[in-house]
Amino acid sequence: MTRGLILLVLLLIPWIPIGDPIHYVLRLATMLMLYMVLALGLNVVTGFIGYLDLGYVGFYAIGAYTSALLSGYNDIPYLIVFFVVILHGCLWGILRGIPTLGLTGDYFAIVTFGFSELIVLIIRNEVWLTRGPMGITGIKGPSMFGYTLSRDWEFFYLILFILTLAIVIIKRMENSRIGRAMAAIRDDEVAAEACGIDARRYKMLAFALSASFGAAAGSFYAHWLGVAHPDMFHFWESILILCIIIIGGMGSVSGIILGALVLIPTTELLRAALLALSQWGTSAGITFISPDIVNARYLIFGIILVLMMRLRPDGLKR
Amino acid sequence: MNWQEVLDRSSLFLLQLTNGLTLGSIYALIAVGYTMVYGVLELINFAHGEVYMMGAFIAYHLVSVYDVPFFAAFAIALVICSAFGIFLEYFAYRPLRDARRLVALISAIGMSIFLQNLALIIWGAQQKSFPYKKLPSLFSSMAFTLGDINLSYLQVFIFLLSVVLMFVLHYIIRHTKTGMAMRAIAQDAKAASLMGINLNRVISFTFAAGSFLGAVAGVLVGVYYNAIWPTMGYMAGIKAFAAAVLGGIGSVPGAILGGTILGVAEAFGAGYISSAYRDGIAYAIMILVLIFKPAGLLGKSVVQRR
Repeated sequence: MTRGLILLVLLLIPWIPIGDPIHYVLRLATMLMLYMVLALGLNVVTGFIGYLDLGYVGFYAIGAYTSALLSGYNDIPYLIVFFVVILHGCLWGILRGIPTLGLTGDYFAIVTFGFSELIVLIIRNEVWLTRGPMGITGIKGPSMFGYTLSRDWEFFYLILFILTLAIVIIKRMENSRIGRAMAAIRDDEVAAEACGIDARRYKMLAFALSASFGAAAGSFYAHWLGVAHPDMFHFWESILILCIIIIGGMGSVSGIILGALVLIPTTELLRAALLALSQWGTSAGITFISPDIVNARYLIFGIILVLMMRLRPDGLKR
Repeated sequence: MNWQEVLDRSSLFLLQLTNGLTLGSIYALIAVGYTMVYGVLELINFAHGEVYMMGAFIAYHLVSVYDVPFFAAFAIALVICSAFGIFLEYFAYRPLRDARRLVALISAIGMSIFLQNLALIIWGAQQKSFPYKKLPSLFSSMAFTLGDINLSYLQVFIFLLSVVLMFVLHYIIRHTKTGMAMRAIAQDAKAASLMGINLNRVISFTFAAGSFLGAVAGVLVGVYYNAIWPTMGYMAGIKAFAAAVLGGIGSVPGAILGGTILGVAEAFGAGYISSAYRDGIAYAIMILVLIFKPAGLLGKSVVQRR
């Protein structure tokens, strides 16, 4: 009942009669939902089976570039593109899973980090395929039934649909045999195996699922912005997504939504505030505030991570 | 193939080798810090790369702003970084020592991000370099020249300093009481503390020593490449970690060997295969080692711990 109501309210958002600022609201809302999809995907590995994935942005990049190269210039129906992207993400999730399957927590974190750096390195250097540091520009909107999406509210509905799909999948999985097996692996992998859970299989499943979520989000991102560039997939993105699931409390869908609701607007506000500060600093001739202070909004993520781990390791919700 | 060609090729080879050894000794210095902390705490100190970056920045700041002589600035940076290493452990890791592994790991990453951005605020994203005139003039002169190969005193200095520090470290670990305590904790922390070893003090010492070596590497890199920037720690940190994994994490000789091999491999890879993928070589080596020989070259294979 409440869920239906929330969905109805969300569906009505693009039609709030507030005039021009609606574009800003829609963009922020789209961004928020995009990060929710990403966080839900990362949560499958970090929250469900308890492995710290520091390279999630790699799948995001794979999704974005796959989508950009497939349908950036051609008229392939988006549904087909979307499935290809998801399968491609899945494939890389499994490929990355093969060497990391036997690793313990901190090794896993480092290898995943190395993986995403390698992906970005390849994107930057294989100019014949990805145009390297020039990036792919002018990506067309997703085309559906002969119509190409381009307006803000169309993208809003598309990501709302993807998010709803993601939440349904996660919710269904959470309370199923698979979800319980994953929770058992998170709590104690050895004990779970002793109880007859095939840990390798469930871990692989988690890697593949998580990767396909990331790729789907990346595909949307590329079409939404119309650009794919290696700089969009910086390590910080992985950390931002990680912060979202940590603030909300790892493992729960409502926690992730809460985390995104808290963190994404905060970073937007911080960016605006720091930009104003740096402009004021330049105009007032204060030299100790460097113009790079805008990028320092990530400082707050570091503080969040350390303090959350010390004070509330299970998230704000619990 | 005529003689000239052979000479050219061999001089290119030697050039890469000297570059690789210089780079390798720097990686080894950082890798030892990772491996020591992993030995006693079984935790990857993600902020270690940031200590390395801070060492470089502090020395740079002292030299360029306060006009401190280079070697004095070097020493001050080392002391500050060692103290900082102790603080880091006290603030971010000690309260979480009994928590789940994931929790401590996330706290470590949080510290690393915090420090990187702190440096970004203080010093800006622009690359900095040591003022040329304030460096010892010996650094820029050549120790010897053979054909096309120039070996600078700086390279010799980096290599010798690393070797000396490694021997000192070896002595501390093998022949002092603190070193013995470190080895005991690495074997079994609980039993060690029951035998009357002050766990906190030894762990603090480990962090101080690791940060000291990391800061040495940071300053040396800052001089060698003439570039210091806020995110230099994260790339170097990951590469050094790869070196520690290659040598077998937890083993100090392994970290030295791994660092040297990685440095040489990187120099040769950049010279002969592709300089664009220079940074990828470390990741590739790390992933291959983890697949085929997870214990590393000199590490002992242990039962999976968690």
